[in-house]
Amino acid sequence: MVLKVFFPQCCNRADSGLLVGRWLPGRDTAVVLAVIHYPFIPSTVKQYLQQIQGQSQVPVEVLGSWSMPSEKQEGLDSFLRDLSTIFPQTRWLQVSREMGQTGFSCQLLQLPPEKEEEEEDRVIFVHYDQRKVMLSQLHPLESPALPGCEEPSELRQMFWTVAHSEPLFLKDKYDEGPLKLSHWQSEGREASILVELMKLASTPLCLLLAWLLAAWSWVTSTRLLNLSPLRFLSSKLSSCVQLSYRTAHMKTVTSPHTATSHTHFMRKANVLVSLLLDVSLGLLFISWLYREERLARLASALLPAADRVSRELEDLLQWLMGAPAGLKMNRALDQVLGRFFLYHIHLWISYLRLLAPFLEVILWYGGLSAALGLTFALSLLSDMLALLTFHIYCFYVYGARLYCMKLYGLCSLWRLFRGRKWNVLRQRVDSCCYDLDQLFIGTLLFTILLFLLPTTALYYLVFTMLRLMVVALQGVLHLSVDLINSFPLFALSLRVFTPYRLAEGVKFRVLSDEPGTALHLLMEMNALGLGEVVQTYRTPTYSCYPPDSWGALLRKLFVGELVYPWKHKTTKTD
Amino acid sequence: MGPDIAPGPAVPWRKVLWERQPFPDNYVDERFLEELRRNEGIRQYRYWAVVKEAVLVGQQLSCVAIFITLWLYMEQGLLSPEALLWTSLIVGLLGYGLHNALRPQLGSDRKPRTHLADLQSAAIFLSFTFGFSPVLKTLTESVSTDTVYAMSALMLLAHLVSFPYAHPSPTGSLSLNAALFASVCLASRLPGALHTFAMLSCALLMFALWPCLLQSIRDHAPGPSAWLCVGVCLGGVGGLGSRWPGGAVLLALALVSVILLCPLLLVKLQRHKDNIQGPWDEAEIHEDLCKVPY
Amino acid sequence: MGQRRKKADVSASSEKRASEADTAASNPTASNPTASNPNRKHSICMVSDFFYPNMGGVESHIYQLSQCLIEKGHKVVIATHAYGRRKGVRYLTNGLKVYYLPLQVMYNQSTATTCFHSLPLLRCVFVREAVTVVHAHSSFSAMAHDALFHAKTMGLNTVFTDHSLFGFADMSSVLTNKLLTVSLCDTDHIVCVSYTSKENTVLRATLDPQIVSVIPNAVDPTDFTPDPSQRRGGRITVVVISRLVYRKGIDLLGGIIPELCLKHPDLHFLIGGEGPKRIVLEEVREKYQLHDRVRLLGALEHRDVRGVLVQGHIFLNTSLTEAFCMAIVEGASCGLQVVSTRVGGIPEVLPEDLISLCDPTVRSLCAGLEAVITQLRSGAVPSPADIHARVRSLYTWRNVAGRTEKVYDRVAGEEVLPLDRRLLRLRQHCGSVAGSIFAFVAVLNFLFLLLLQWLVPDQVMDRAVDASGPRALWGPSQRDHPAEEAGAGAPTAE
Repeated sequence: MVLKVFFPQCCNRADSGLLVGRWLPGRDTAVVLAVIHYPFIPSTVKQYLQQIQGQSQVPVEVLGSWSMPSEKQEGLDSFLRDLSTIFPQTRWLQVSREMGQTGFSCQLLQLPPEKEEEEEDRVIFVHYDQRKVMLSQLHPLESPALPGCEEPSELRQMFWTVAHSEPLFLKDKYDEGPLKLSHWQSEGREASILVELMKLASTPLCLLLAWLLAAWSWVTSTRLLNLSPLRFLSSKLSSCVQLSYRTAHMKTVTSPHTATSHTHFMRKANVLVSLLLDVSLGLLFISWLYREERLARLASALLPAADRVSRELEDLLQWLMGAPAGLKMNRALDQVLGRFFLYHIHLWISYLRLLAPFLEVILWYGGLSAALGLTFALSLLSDMLALLTFHIYCFYVYGARLYCMKLYGLCSLWRLFRGRKWNVLRQRVDSCCYDLDQLFIGTLLFTILLFLLPTTALYYLVFTMLRLMVVALQGVLHLSVDLINSFPLFALSLRVFTPYRLAEGVKFRVLSDEPGTALHLLMEMNALGLGEVVQTYRTPTYSCYPPDSWGALLRKLFVGELVYPWKHKTTKTD
Repeated sequence: MGPDIAPGPAVPWRKVLWERQPFPDNYVDERFLEELRRNEGIRQYRYWAVVKEAVLVGQQLSCVAIFITLWLYMEQGLLSPEALLWTSLIVGLLGYGLHNALRPQLGSDRKPRTHLADLQSAAIFLSFTFGFSPVLKTLTESVSTDTVYAMSALMLLAHLVSFPYAHPSPTGSLSLNAALFASVCLASRLPGALHTFAMLSCALLMFALWPCLLQSIRDHAPGPSAWLCVGVCLGGVGGLGSRWPGGAVLLALALVSVILLCPLLLVKLQRHKDNIQGPWDEAEIHEDLCKVPY
Repeated sequence: MGQRRKKADVSASSEKRASEADTAASNPTASNPTASNPNRKHSICMVSDFFYPNMGGVESHIYQLSQCLIEKGHKVVIATHAYGRRKGVRYLTNGLKVYYLPLQVMYNQSTATTCFHSLPLLRCVFVREAVTVVHAHSSFSAMAHDALFHAKTMGLNTVFTDHSLFGFADMSSVLTNKLLTVSLCDTDHIVCVSYTSKENTVLRATLDPQIVSVIPNAVDPTDFTPDPSQRRGGRITVVVISRLVYRKGIDLLGGIIPELCLKHPDLHFLIGGEGPKRIVLEEVREKYQLHDRVRLLGALEHRDVRGVLVQGHIFLNTSLTEAFCMAIVEGASCGLQVVSTRVGGIPEVLPEDLISLCDPTVRSLCAGLEAVITQLRSGAVPSPADIHARVRSLYTWRNVAGRTEKVYDRVAGEEVLPLDRRLLRLRQHCGSVAGSIFAFVAVLNFLFLLLLQWLVPDQVMDRAVDASGPRALWGPSQRDHPAEEAGAGAPTAE
């Protein structure tokens, strides 16, 4: 039988006394939490332990005795044996430290004494850092280590025991009381006044913010703002989406309930830190933007740029209307399509001219939104990009629709060409006897569509490329917004500065392994990997849904389905 | 019934599994393979009968040749579209009259098409072709001539391969469509929209309506129809010869090999046929199961 | 045969109950020892692509035959390809060991064949299990042909069982017949399930008929007992149980149903099975408004088949081709009057008075059915119990196993052709072109085997513990526990 004793490092040199801790249920494992020093009154000890048990839900009990060889040796043995009768337990540990040795010696007394045959008990002492174990969180998180639910692992139980016996550690070394305990003690309480003040202030602040948020969400949920065109528009504008995300984040942060579970706490902290980071970045951005006339220069540069894009587009269309890249297109269709798109560009330029005087004002007010956070500024930028390249989007949609319809028509006419038809009810291709006139008209249309396809396809290809460029730009913006939104900065800094707080299992180091004495191991935490930290603690946002695979994207492009940047995926609706 | 026991008793072996017989499992009776039959239901072909059928293939080949000849004439401006249209109209009306005259004798199991439906179809043909002919005219102008020729040749070949020679009457979708595609391609190279229209009408007459007429003539009078086919063949060779003598020689050779040589080969090779049949063959369903009574 | 669904562990126990008298009553000549060593115990490896969890006639044939051979004291292992997550080694009832080898499935559960890639795995199985006879099943199984090829290269005796019929007329059959010729030209013995199948196989593979034995399939008569109380009074029910595919003549069935239903208002059809031709039957049912009289039951589990059969008076089989029709034996065993098409091996299966044979036409089948209906009406048919009593002893698995054992005894005494004579035989037997090609392949295969033997010599390969056969560790005391997948922890052959 191997007996495992988890022993806190801080009690190594404690004076003799009683070992307080817990036997893990169903295992030969004891977790020592503290040492109660002599002298004590047994009834006080029992009372105190009951009190602790009531506070912490941990079944703390007296495990055995601890003797430090400083004072009189004589009579101690018998005294220790007598102690076991005072605290009736089934198993009684007698741990003692000898003068010249590093290790401890340990005896286990089975209290019904007939079982006391010497069966070569091996004892393993596992030394642990009480503070670290108390503060750390074991990963993976999936099973919250409750003692009731189906048998968590030994290590989890041990961590749970230590983490939940916090009330025991609150008793200070300097407290004057009937009992003297030795365990880990927090050293500095000086900063705690500040902390207390902040805690006091945070509650009304949270309440205020929560009230404001409630008012805001009431405004957004009014019927007027939920009318279908407005709702559709707001779901497509990334700044509106960002606003709703932020509202949700603020709601989690300012919720008046204190975070109970570790995940909940981490979530709140992460959101808060990323919020603060976002706002500070936004303020930095503002301070940069509104200095040295940058805004005015930007506004004056924007319009010529848009003009230039339009001119380039016109050139492109003219090129397409000729013989682009030596390809022979159908001249008539080419002219029709080219003129149609040219007219569109003309419309667009006049629209921009109309907009020009107000552009600086718009930019000025838009820049202010960065005070709410850099993400807002970026989202707004993305929206503006979308609005300024609306003509490209239009071209793309026209081209794609035309191409898609043509492809669809060709598919069904190709079936007619072979004398088949698509059976909708049975979802398969059936053979079919067509009439002579059906065949004739079908073939006529098929020929026409087939010869016109290259022209349409070329227009579609060019506009798709343009569109993809815009989409890629918007995608970069969305990705950076998303990064700021979901990046678990708090968890990451925890991991960097106090690696033991997020533990992924433990490792053991052999302290002393002398034959004849017990094996001494030192337990150290394995820090969670950085990638794991990001994976576990990132705030879920829309980009957590897998985007289209490249194959699916190519297929969509080939058949002429419309592609959108990540945001407007259908998965977002659920 | 072990595999190695010699057949002792004089009980005759029976080809049944349900009876335990005093023979080893690998016993081979003299009746082994007695149900094997060779070349059962084989048809003996007579040369001239095969030739008579093969003429049909030849005449379809010649039809394509005639169509190409007409196109050559049109392209070189030797034939005006009006003349072609008038000729087509007259030939079409004559053919329609003949078709109608032959129809009543075909028995009345199927509902005959009314004249109104025919008129409607004709109106659709003409209006669509006429309406689309300007579009068709510009359709291939940027495509290179070689591409158009290659595509047309391929499509005419597809028409010839997939043509239902046994029953030309409901023309197979693929063959008709391929021929129409080829004629659209060719017609779009012609100089004017009216040319295109005339060419397409002619194609319709030749590839869609002529097989129907031929079918009814064959049903009605098999003898003269064969001579009609021969006439078409001669016409094809002659027509092509007037514009492209080399092509005419090739066509004549192809016709001779299809009509005379291939049937000869079929009849000669027939006696080498060796087909095994027996009870293991998958039974074929001969009845027309769609036509269960009532 | 797709309806021959059989759970792996249900049938062995019932097989034991299968008429104890049967072995004694079987032909007295059967016990006449003329083979070289009659009590010799073989170590047999059954190879086929088709095995449980796939369902069908071949699968249940392999399983039942293996169980009976184990009962006779032989050692049997089965090699098939991995089915989804079922891979590695599994044990079935009575220590029947199954290797699910990781081979790529190509089409219709048949593996792809390259003649080489399966050699390392199969050699491993053959050597580890100390196999003496390799028994391959089904000509549709590429793995079976591969195994035959490799076994001959390794100098093992080979037996092949053909379960299907094949025509000669079209291009694909010409090709497959050539391959079969190559595969079977130096196989020691071939087993066919009916005399027609034997004729077919002999012709396809140009074999000497002396090395082809006819051993019919069997059915478990205890699974198919009549129960006339299940029949609904006042009506005559025709039962059809088959996959709904073209080869089973479902188009004929679609012609029969409306014709007979119109003439006999009390006639009902009960159709079990699933397949692409279901649409034909559904159309007929809709067109003639027969929803209450034609019931389509869909796919049936094997255990449900009897429950459907006993509800009927007449069993109808419309197959267009069939090597050995198990369905009609099952139908007759349940006491039904059997009407069937006269195709393939069907006329050999049942005595004339138990079956009405018709031509595969709607008219002939209708006439046959009507004759039986008239007999039923007049009561001029034997009772279901009588029919069952006659059928129950016709086909039993013990009989099949006994006859197969004789084949093994005979094969074990034969010499496996060494490489030079094998090449000569390939050249002589398969024509110069195909023969030369496959002779070349055989040489390559032999060199590959030498390479493998050099890499991992036979001596260092560890031997598997026998779970069946004379040195079985699976004691008789444990035999009563049907334990599928008892020891999945045994090392796989990879």
